[in-house]
Amino acid sequence: MTIFLQTFVNALALGSLYGLIALGYTLVYGVLRFINFAHSDIFMIGAWISFTFTGWLGWSTGAPAYALPVILVLAMGFCALLAVAIEQIAYKPLRKAPRLNVLITAIGVSLFLQNTGVLKQVFGTQPQRMPSLVNDHVMFTLAGVGVQFVDVLVVLLAGALMLLLQWMVFRTRLGRAMRAVSFDERTASLMGINVNQVISITFGIGSALAAAAGLLYALKYGSLKQSADATWVLLGLKAFVAAVIGGIGNVRGAVAGGVLIGFLEMYGAAYLSPHLKDVYVFVVLIGVLLVKPSGLFGKAVVEKV
Amino acid sequence: MKTLAERTAAQRPNVALTALLSLAPLAVGVIAAFLLQAVLAPAVGPFYAKLVLDVGIAILLSVSLNIVNGFAGQFSLGHGGFMLVGGYTAAYLTYYGSIALWGTAEIHGGFMEGGDIFFMVACVVGGIVAALAGLLVGLPSLRLRGDYLAIVTLGFGEIMRVVIQRTGDVLPVAEAKQKGMLGSLTNVGGSLGFTDVPQYVSPTPWLEKTGHAGIFFTYIFVAICVVVAFRLKASSNGRALLAVRENEVAAEAMGVVTARAKVTAFVMAAFFAGIAGGLFGHQSTLSPSELGFQKSIDIVIMVVLGGMGSISGAVLAAIVLTLLPEALRNFSQYRMIIYALSLIAIMIARPQGLFGTKEIWETTWWRRLFGRRTKAEAP
Amino acid sequence: MSTAVTSEPVLTAQHLSLAFGGLKAVADFSLTLRAGALAGLIGPNGAGKTTIFNLLTGVYQPDQGEIFLGKQRLNGLKPSARAKAGMARTFQNIRLFGELSVLDNVRTACGVRAKSGLVGALLRTPGWRAEERAITERSMDLLQTLGIAGRAHEQAKSLPYGDQRRLEIARALATEPKVLLLDEPVAGMNTQEKHAMRSMIQQIRVDFEVAVLLIEHDMGLVMEICDHITVLDHGTTIAAGVAADIQNDPAVIEAYLGAPDDAASEGADGVA
Repeated sequence: MTIFLQTFVNALALGSLYGLIALGYTLVYGVLRFINFAHSDIFMIGAWISFTFTGWLGWSTGAPAYALPVILVLAMGFCALLAVAIEQIAYKPLRKAPRLNVLITAIGVSLFLQNTGVLKQVFGTQPQRMPSLVNDHVMFTLAGVGVQFVDVLVVLLAGALMLLLQWMVFRTRLGRAMRAVSFDERTASLMGINVNQVISITFGIGSALAAAAGLLYALKYGSLKQSADATWVLLGLKAFVAAVIGGIGNVRGAVAGGVLIGFLEMYGAAYLSPHLKDVYVFVVLIGVLLVKPSGLFGKAVVEKV
Repeated sequence: MKTLAERTAAQRPNVALTALLSLAPLAVGVIAAFLLQAVLAPAVGPFYAKLVLDVGIAILLSVSLNIVNGFAGQFSLGHGGFMLVGGYTAAYLTYYGSIALWGTAEIHGGFMEGGDIFFMVACVVGGIVAALAGLLVGLPSLRLRGDYLAIVTLGFGEIMRVVIQRTGDVLPVAEAKQKGMLGSLTNVGGSLGFTDVPQYVSPTPWLEKTGHAGIFFTYIFVAICVVVAFRLKASSNGRALLAVRENEVAAEAMGVVTARAKVTAFVMAAFFAGIAGGLFGHQSTLSPSELGFQKSIDIVIMVVLGGMGSISGAVLAAIVLTLLPEALRNFSQYRMIIYALSLIAIMIARPQGLFGTKEIWETTWWRRLFGRRTKAEAP
Repeated sequence: MSTAVTSEPVLTAQHLSLAFGGLKAVADFSLTLRAGALAGLIGPNGAGKTTIFNLLTGVYQPDQGEIFLGKQRLNGLKPSARAKAGMARTFQNIRLFGELSVLDNVRTACGVRAKSGLVGALLRTPGWRAEERAITERSMDLLQTLGIAGRAHEQAKSLPYGDQRRLEIARALATEPKVLLLDEPVAGMNTQEKHAMRSMIQQIRVDFEVAVLLIEHDMGLVMEICDHITVLDHGTTIAAGVAADIQNDPAVIEAYLGAPDDAASEGADGVA
C-alpha cells in the first residue's frame, strides 16, 4: 500500500508535467496542423533558463519567498518570446509547404536549440543542480507516505495553469480566435481574424507552459542534464505521446493523456520493471494509434477527394 | 490502342545482352570495391581508410532510407533502430556462431575464406531480421501518415534500444561453448555494448590475419544497394512509390496498391539498414547508445540534404556529411548548429532538397556545365 | 449518336446511398452503363456528383446498394482493386504526380497491368525489359493521342492547366479501363479547347472501347455528346434520360433555376 500511494503521488506530479508539455503540442497542432518537434527543447530551455536566472539573481544559495513566482514569470516570458521568434523565422515561410517539410524544419530547430545550448557561452556541457527555490519538506503524511511540498507545488501549479488555459481557450476572444483558426484558417481570416497573430500567440502560450513545466521539472528532480542529452527529447516525446493519446488538437485530452502517461510510467516502473519504463509508453502509443489513430478523445478526419 | 500485354508479347529482348546489362553494374561495383580496398586503402593509410569505410556505411544508410523517405514519402525516424536490429543479429551470429563453429571468437581464416563468408552471411541475415522488423513497423504506416508515422518509427527505435540495454553481459568463450547459441541469446552486452565481436570490418591493411577487408565487404553491399535503388526507381514498383509520395489518392485510383507499396519500401530500406548495422557492428564494440534517435536523425539529414528521391544526391550527401566533420574538426561544437541551420535553410529555400527527385546528371546546372544534350531533352 | 451502344452492361450501380453524419450525400442512386456508352451526370454544386464517383471508385463505401463492373461485385474493394478491375477516373481538383515527368505519370498508371514483379525489376530480366519497353511505348502513344507527347519529359506540375486535364485522361486510359469516369474534363478551358476536348472524348470512347461517365458543368457539352444523362439534386436523382427529355423536364429546370412560381416563399424554403 505504501508503494502504491508513493507511486500515486509521483505519478500525479510527473503526469502533471507531461500534461503541461502536451498542451503545447496540442495547441500548436490545433492552429498549424503539425507536430512541433522542437517543443521538447523549449521545455529543456525552460528548465535551464530558470537555473540561469536563479544564478543571475543571486538566489543560488538562498532564495527569498518571492523567488519562485519571479523565476516562473521570467522563464515563461523568455520561452514565449523565443518560440514566437522561432515561429517567425523558421515556420512562417513554410505556411503553404507540405507538412513533411515543416516537420523536418522543426527537427532542424530542435537540433539548433540543443546544440546551441551545449556551447560554453550558453548553458555548457556540464550537468547542473537546480538550487531549491522553495523550502522543500514533508507537508503531511498519508498512510505512511510523506507527501513532499514540491510534489504538491507541481500538481497545484500545473493544475492552475491548465485551468487558466481552459478558461482562455473557451472563454475569451483570443481563445475563440484560436479555435476559429484551428477549425478553418481561411474562413477565420475572412472573418477578420489576424491568423498570423493568432498562430504566434498560440506558439507563445504553448511555449510558456513548457517553460513552466521546465521549471517545475528542475525543482522536482533537481539535476539538469546538458541540453543535447537524450533525456530531454525523451521527456518531450512522452509528453507528445500524451497529446496523441489524448487526441491531438484536444486541450482536455492532452491533460488527460499526460496524467495517463504519468501513471502508466510510474506504476509500470513500480510494479513491472523500472528499466522498461520508456517502453510502456511507446507500446501504448503504437497500440492506441493502431486501434484509434485519432487518439482516445480525438475526432477522425476524412480527407476530401 | 494495343494493350500492354500485346505490346509486351511483341518485344523480343536479346537475352544474352540483357544478362550482360543486368550483371555489369554489379561487376563494376565489385571491382570498384576491390580497388578501394587493395589500392586506395594502403595508399592513404589507416586513418583515411577508416573514413572510406565510414563513407561506405553512410551511403548504405542514406540510399536505403531514401527509399522510404525519398521515394515513398513516408517519414521514418527509425533507421537507427533497424541498424540496431541488424547489427545485433549479425554480431550475435558471428560471435557465438564462431565459437560454436571454430571454438573461438577470433577472425577465422584468410581473405574470403570461411570466416569472411560466414560474416557476410551474418550481415545478410541481420538484414533479413531487420527487414522483418521493417514489415512490423511498416504495417502501422498503412493507417498513419506523416508526423504520426515519424513518432511510431522513433518509438520503435527507442524500444529496441531499451530492450538491448536490458540484455546480459557477453559470455566469455568457455561459458558460451557450454550454454550453446540458443542459451546465450540474451547475452549481447546490455548497455555496455557487445564487446569482442570479431572485427571483420577493419580498415587496417588487408590480407593479414589481424584485419580483414572491411572496405571491400562494405562496398560490395554499397554496390548492391545503389544498383537496387536505381533499378527500383526506374521500374513500375519504384514509380508506384513515387506516386504514393506525390498523391496517395490518385496513386490508389491508378491501381497502385498503396499499402503494399509502403510496406515494400519499409522492408527494403530496413534490409539495407540491417546490413549497414552488421558492418557497423564488426568495427569495434557495438553499443546501443550509438544507434539511437540521434543516428536516425543523422541519416534523415543526409536524405533531406541530398534530395528526397535522388539516389546520387543521397550518395553525395553521405560522402560530404561524413567527411565534413573531419574537415571541421576544430569547429566540432558548431558542426551540429551548422547542420541544423542548413536543414532549416534548405527546407525554406529548396523544399525538395538540393536535387529533388532528380539525379545529379539530370539537373539543369549539370547539363549547363557538361553541355551534352540528352535524348530526353530533344523536342 | 448511340451507334456504339450494345446491350451488355459494363457498370451497374444499384440503389447507392451514402450519408455523412446526418447529411444524405447520395440517396438511392442507380445507373447502368453499357459498353461504349457515353453518359452524363449533371446537377447543381453540391448535388453529390463527385461523391458518386468516389463511391464507384471505392474512395467511399456506400451505406447501401451494390456496384458491379461486368459481373464482378465491387463493394468493399479498395480503389486500387477497382482500377485493376477496369475502373479509371480523373479528378476535378487535378491530382497529378506533380514532381514526376509527364511520361512517368502515364507509366505509373500502366503499372497496374504489369506482370513482372519487384524481383524482375531488380534483376532486370528479359521479361521485365520487354514489359518496360512496352510500357514506355504505350505511354508515349497515349500522350500522342491526347496531344501532349511534346511535353513528355516536363514535370507534370509545370504543364498549363488544359494540358494537366489532358494528362489526367491519358493517365486514366493507361490503366486500360472498361469504364472511364471524367470529373469536369473541360473545367477552366476556353471555347477552342473545349471543342478539341469534346471530339477527343468522342474519339476515346470509340478507340479505347470504353464506357464513359462524365460530370460536367458545361451544359452545352453534355447535351451535345451524351447518350444518356442523369440529373442529381441534393443527392437524389431527379431526372434521367436522353438530352431532349432532360432539357424539358420541369424538375430539372427547377433545380437549376429555382421554382418559377413560388418566388414569394423563397425566403422560407429556398435554402439549399
